[in-house]
Amino acid sequence: MSSANPIINIDRVHKIYPSAAGNVTALQDVSLRIAEGEFICLLGPSGCGKSTLMRLVGDLEQPSQGTISVKGKTPQQARLDRDYGIAFQAPVLYEWRTVRKNVELPLEVMGYEAARRGERAQAMLRLVGLSDFASAYPYQLSGGMQQRVAIARALSFEPSILLMDEPFGALDEITRERMQAELLNIWGDTGSKTTVIFVTHSIPEAVFLADRVVVMSPRPGRIESIIDIDLPRPRTFETREAPRFFELVTRVRASLREH
Amino acid sequence: MRDKIAIATGSAVATAPKGTRLPVGLRRILAPLSVLLTLLLVWQGSKLLFGINDQKLPHVGQVLGFFFSRTRNGEGPLQLWSLLLNALSTFSVALGGFVLGGLLGFGLALLFANSRLLERGIMPYVIGSPTVPILAIAPMVVIGLRRLGAPDYLAQIVVAAYLTFFPVTIGMLRGLRSVPADALALMRSYAANGTQVFWKLKLPASLPYLFTALKIAATASVIGAIVAELPAGAKRGVGVVILNAATYYNSRPPALWAAVIVAGLIGLAFYSLVVLAERLLVKGRRAAE
Repeated sequence: MSSANPIINIDRVHKIYPSAAGNVTALQDVSLRIAEGEFICLLGPSGCGKSTLMRLVGDLEQPSQGTISVKGKTPQQARLDRDYGIAFQAPVLYEWRTVRKNVELPLEVMGYEAARRGERAQAMLRLVGLSDFASAYPYQLSGGMQQRVAIARALSFEPSILLMDEPFGALDEITRERMQAELLNIWGDTGSKTTVIFVTHSIPEAVFLADRVVVMSPRPGRIESIIDIDLPRPRTFETREAPRFFELVTRVRASLREH
Repeated sequence: MRDKIAIATGSAVATAPKGTRLPVGLRRILAPLSVLLTLLLVWQGSKLLFGINDQKLPHVGQVLGFFFSRTRNGEGPLQLWSLLLNALSTFSVALGGFVLGGLLGFGLALLFANSRLLERGIMPYVIGSPTVPILAIAPMVVIGLRRLGAPDYLAQIVVAAYLTFFPVTIGMLRGLRSVPADALALMRSYAANGTQVFWKLKLPASLPYLFTALKIAATASVIGAIVAELPAGAKRGVGVVILNAATYYNSRPPALWAAVIVAGLIGLAFYSLVVLAERLLVKGRRAAE
């Protein structure tokens, strides 16, 4: 599965941050291939470089060494072609815009005309189950709802790649599990399969969501191992109770311990 | 049940059932109104208590009466009318200074937000500016502009602007810097250009901070306008009226008090306008501190 139609090629990438106390090697010699439509989780403790790797793919930062190609293009070109939808840990909604207007934001920037923007926003809000809140303001929504709006916004322009940096990190456990299931539904519902890179430090979250879990370790940041998650889809709450789920969680945890 | 709790905690807060509470608009005026009444009571009270004569501190009634007496020895229009005209003159100068200072502050903030170097170089002077006494600056500005052939009211506007631009610079800069890095990263991922980022993100995000600064700037520009009237030798304006009333205080004490009250009201009016604008433009979200 990993070599079938690779859409993202990360080749011997290094990222070094200069600092007063000497250079920090956030990533060292990282290579990874991601196929179209795959759901990849980058998992590891703080400082392992998982967020950095995601940001490098999304052209939010540049590698110090090595190359990344996305759909045969440079990350910069992919960004300019609007191939990325991004969601961060904080929803970062504009508090002066309604929910609908927040979802329309990227569409405005990209020059969609008004009618089409409204259509897309409606469709996205329906997808995340927040149609009733289109005219509400962000402060009226709970954390989980705000994050759903952020996801709707990220998908509004149908990007081929979704980059998510611990989007459920600020939510409570119960809401997190529900949002994970909803994310999988939304991902399944996007029709043409979107490729997802999902950064997390939660082992169950990674195993529940991913096709493959990329386990990373820090100092210096590198890939420790890549574990195939052969749990069947669609995944539901029953998946979380399956013996195979626990086996995989244990395997991932063991891999994290080795460094 | 609520009443029982209120009594148990010794709370003095009225827990009247909803039907008997006053409408919101009335409730909002009630607090400042009661403070005003208290002030008037203190005014009259201290006259009685300390035996202050009418020369030093006129009766509230005398001041009110002054508003409705006539100018020019009883043959001109009402004092109230004359005061309002003068107030209008001061107000328009203050408005001019507010706009000029506001634009200057806004521009400086944009400059500083884009260039740390310029900020480091110029900011110390910006911060130092309000500490230079306005009474010293005003005559310099007036004389300087007169030599250039500019009309006097322009000098007054510049002086008013001088007090205004500092809070606006600081407030707007803070607003521009309040934009979260993640929001900028998202804009980057949409391949937005600088103009789009400014109009869609940076400017709206800065508005609450800008308005906080504009409220301060509103009162500062009124002060600047009043102070500038004296060195400019203005013929109209509240500052002029205050100066005259102070000079001829002994022959007519209430005049000074009346003029000072009007000066305060101008500041209040200006401030209220800014608050109104804020309510219109910064809608739908909680205000910044």
